[in-house]
Amino acid sequence: MAKPSKDEIHYLLLKLHSLTGIIPVGAFLVVHLCVNSLRTVGVWPYQLSIDAINNLPFLLIIEITFIYIPILFHSAMGFYVIRLGKTNAHRYRYPRNGLYTMQRLSGAVVFVFLIYHLGTTVAPKLWEGKHHFEAAPFLIDIMNGEFQTWQGMLIYTIGIISATFHFSNGLWGFCVSWGILIGENAQKNGAIIFAMIGLALTVLGMATVAEFNMNPVPVEATVAR
Amino acid sequence: MTEKNITLKIKRQDTPGSTAYWQTFEVPKRPHANIISCLMEVQRNPTTQDGKTVAPVTWDCNCLEEVCGSCTMLINGKVRQACTALVDHLEGTIVLEPMSKFPVVRDLQVNRERMFDNLKKVKAWIDIDGSHDIGEGPVMPDQDRAKRYVMSECMTCGCCLEACPQFTIDNSFLGAATFNQVRLFNLHPTGKMRKEDRLDAVMGEGGITDCGNAQVCVEVCPKNIPLTESIADIGRQTTWQAIKNLLTK
Repeated sequence: MAKPSKDEIHYLLLKLHSLTGIIPVGAFLVVHLCVNSLRTVGVWPYQLSIDAINNLPFLLIIEITFIYIPILFHSAMGFYVIRLGKTNAHRYRYPRNGLYTMQRLSGAVVFVFLIYHLGTTVAPKLWEGKHHFEAAPFLIDIMNGEFQTWQGMLIYTIGIISATFHFSNGLWGFCVSWGILIGENAQKNGAIIFAMIGLALTVLGMATVAEFNMNPVPVEATVAR
Repeated sequence: MTEKNITLKIKRQDTPGSTAYWQTFEVPKRPHANIISCLMEVQRNPTTQDGKTVAPVTWDCNCLEEVCGSCTMLINGKVRQACTALVDHLEGTIVLEPMSKFPVVRDLQVNRERMFDNLKKVKAWIDIDGSHDIGEGPVMPDQDRAKRYVMSECMTCGCCLEACPQFTIDNSFLGAATFNQVRLFNLHPTGKMRKEDRLDAVMGEGGITDCGNAQVCVEVCPKNIPLTESIADIGRQTTWQAIKNLLTK
């Protein structure tokens, strides 16, 4: 195999940045918000889903390969992409230019939010060694606490809205830059559909936040050790 | 209507490397005046508002009907052609600056050579006969001709690049005008024969992947070229090209 040129590497890295935003990072966001929204149905189905995830074989390897590495790559490339341009939405005030600025801002906000979110959930879970059926009561206890202060509510509200915006606007950007949506009308209609997807995901996330805030129920491990 | 004066605040620069400075001029308001005619007034009487006689302001212009693109500058902070900027449609002090994404030659003149270099990079031409006759070219379908006509109206003015957040004075981004030319010539039946060369030229640093889809280009284009469609189409063409390269090279 011939050694790829600098230009080929650049092209592939930016394409990969675009692709990882949809699969697996975006797909994970959708699954994560959907699974967590089970909390609004009841604590039992919610705990059941956490049990299912935490009893997966090779969970940590799956998480590192399909979540942590892609997120780190997407973030690192994202900060590189931010440095490629210079926002000018204050001078050229068009909606799409505003969204260009927002996409960069929301990406950076989500990155900071994820450090907080992982620091308060996954990090203590791994630190305390809570695996399998022990994970659910431990994590639910943490999340019950997270939403009892206005600061926690604010952090999660900003984090969730930034993530759903970045994902749905990114879906549109993906479709345009890969040449799926070409015509002006196609791009407009795509934007409407992706905005609705973004709105639906935001409602899903915020409903979960509201449920945790109003109804913090402690749980016991499904199966005792 | 009473005779009134127009105030022009102009960003000036004497030589390519020197520091820019501002000067304010007052010119008599004439009916149907445009920015070019105001600059001609300044040329006739190069006296600043505070009574100092200075070197006349220099600018580029040619066709005076928005088809050559040479008088492109920032008027009240936004990029457009000076010839079609009618004073009646502007309010208050008129601020004139050279484009910020191209090196200044002098005053309002800039060097847009980068745009022409980019056209060379993507081979924005149709190959013609060499020392021997290569025969008649294929027929172009009328739908393609109509599509190409709109794209061919580009006058390399640089508005799309000046307004683009991804295009800066010191990076290598090719920009909307160049991507539109790739689409224009890839759609030509003879130009198609060089399609892969053109796509390869936009698949690297500064190429199509560096577009951030801010879509300001299409908003400021004076010729209403569907630049964002061209960009998305080149996105599609390069995607297929990349897959083809991965599987066949």
